[in-house]
Amino acid sequence: MAHAAIETSGLTRSFASRPAVDQLTFEVAPGEVVALLGPNGAGKTTTVRLLNGVLRPDAGTSRVLGLDPVADGDAVRRRTGVLTETAGLDDRLTLLENVVIPARIRGMSRVDAERQARLMLERFDMAGRAGEKAQGLSTGQRKRVALARALLHEPDVLFLDEPTSGLDPEATRDVVSLIATLAREQGRTVLLCTHFLAEAGRLCQRMAVLQRGRLQAYGRPEDLAAQLWSGLNVDLDLGGPADDRTLAILRGARGVIRADTSPAGAAVCVEGRAALPSLVASLVSREVPVYGAVPRPPTVEEIYFALQDGERS
Amino acid sequence: MQAVVVKDLTAIRRSKGVLIPMILVPGLLLVLLPFLIGLAARSHAAPNVDGILRSVPKGVARPILDLPESQRLVVLVNGYLLAPLFLIVPLMVASVLAADAFAGEKERSTLESLLHLPIPERDLFYAKVLGAFLPAVLVSWVGFVLFAVVVNTTAWPVMHRIFIPTRLWLVMILWVAPAVAALGLGVMVRVSARAKSTQEANQLGGAVILPLIFLAVGQSTGLLLVTLPLAIGAGALVWLVALVLATGGARRFTRDRMAAAI
Repeated sequence: MAHAAIETSGLTRSFASRPAVDQLTFEVAPGEVVALLGPNGAGKTTTVRLLNGVLRPDAGTSRVLGLDPVADGDAVRRRTGVLTETAGLDDRLTLLENVVIPARIRGMSRVDAERQARLMLERFDMAGRAGEKAQGLSTGQRKRVALARALLHEPDVLFLDEPTSGLDPEATRDVVSLIATLAREQGRTVLLCTHFLAEAGRLCQRMAVLQRGRLQAYGRPEDLAAQLWSGLNVDLDLGGPADDRTLAILRGARGVIRADTSPAGAAVCVEGRAALPSLVASLVSREVPVYGAVPRPPTVEEIYFALQDGERS
Repeated sequence: MQAVVVKDLTAIRRSKGVLIPMILVPGLLLVLLPFLIGLAARSHAAPNVDGILRSVPKGVARPILDLPESQRLVVLVNGYLLAPLFLIVPLMVASVLAADAFAGEKERSTLESLLHLPIPERDLFYAKVLGAFLPAVLVSWVGFVLFAVVVNTTAWPVMHRIFIPTRLWLVMILWVAPAVAALGLGVMVRVSARAKSTQEANQLGGAVILPLIFLAVGQSTGLLLVTLPLAIGAGALVWLVALVLATGGARRFTRDRMAAAI
């Protein structure tokens, strides 16, 4: 069996006797994108620091690419790329220097480092400003340079802490698409810490929800949704809001848990996909036109807030 | 390690806040002050320093009293009194650069990305220390060369010979100045671990300059005159303290401690 790219077991770290990460156990498969979600102070950044061997755990273990970050920190860091929440650029250095110097620290020759840095800056549309100092760059531009720096050495594992915060919509779309490509086509493993739940939904195969350092939930969004809610949500396009007669038909149909009107027709919750054909057939047989029936699994956002609400209650 | 030193030196070169004190203080102490002393010595109204010389140990005063009266001011001030003041230069430069290298990384939010790079903690520490120590010693030595040129040139009409460097100055330059730079570094490494900004580090570490001020006051009042054996002994003591501080700082310089303090 192939090693997990990241695995933790009972990982714990406290600051001033307050646990920042508490008994964290999860694993990430190679090439998988996992979203680490949670409010501020939930322990996302501490988790990344522990996994990259920057912090030492008080208890528990972790392995990244089969290596122990405590014992083999530099070996881990050679194969990981990190985008920190603040881009961490030195304002006194040029953009090129901000990318080249970390590459040199990673052991690349000056020539290779410069060539790669220029390529990466080009990729993030910052090549034209390579010789300018970082001072005065917008948050989004800083993020792009920091991404260029994080990806320059082609890491196997990427830790991305809020990669799109401060980016404009176009740049956000590019970065999201890049992260998807890195995982899908290049097999890189990505641990994505983000507040942007829609972005997490587009990218992640699994999501981990942290609350006060504890892992509240971990799994595929559809599995977590199945634990939270029974049934499958389906949007029915009826050419207009469903009337009382149509709602009565829907509510009386086999396998329907609930049905409500929606601007396009009806929002229905059925026991499973298998209930859909007979439901549509019963509508059509009673001369209710059906233009579409689209299963709508709960979004990451809905799952996240349902978990948070559950925690609060 | 080399890349970190290069990074720090490049950043220093571009930072006015760091460069200006690095140029201004040596410029005032090692160029302007001896230049003015040289001019004063050449004027007919040069102050008589015999009163000062009577209050210092005879062993030090005698060689100066043996000189012609016109040369005494120049030799006393440039040859003896400025020597401890000169030590402010390596101390100040090393402290400013160390604060920038350690606390400055926190202040600029660049520390975390540095900690995520594959560089052993020891190498990172030594790179940071070298990035502050080497410029401090270099600035001191370049400053001294300028000092020697200015002093010997302006005092030439009075002295008619090159009289700097004296043996005391050579000991100061080659032995004590690097020790004092190391001391400034050692203090700042310890202080920067707690400070959140360079300003805070400089404020906390500023007390390290006090012994030098006492030394300078002692020197100018004749209470304590730095002689050659004293300079060699003091240098050894400063090296010892600096090494103890730096070793302790190196032990505490771990990723975990630094990341926990971000």
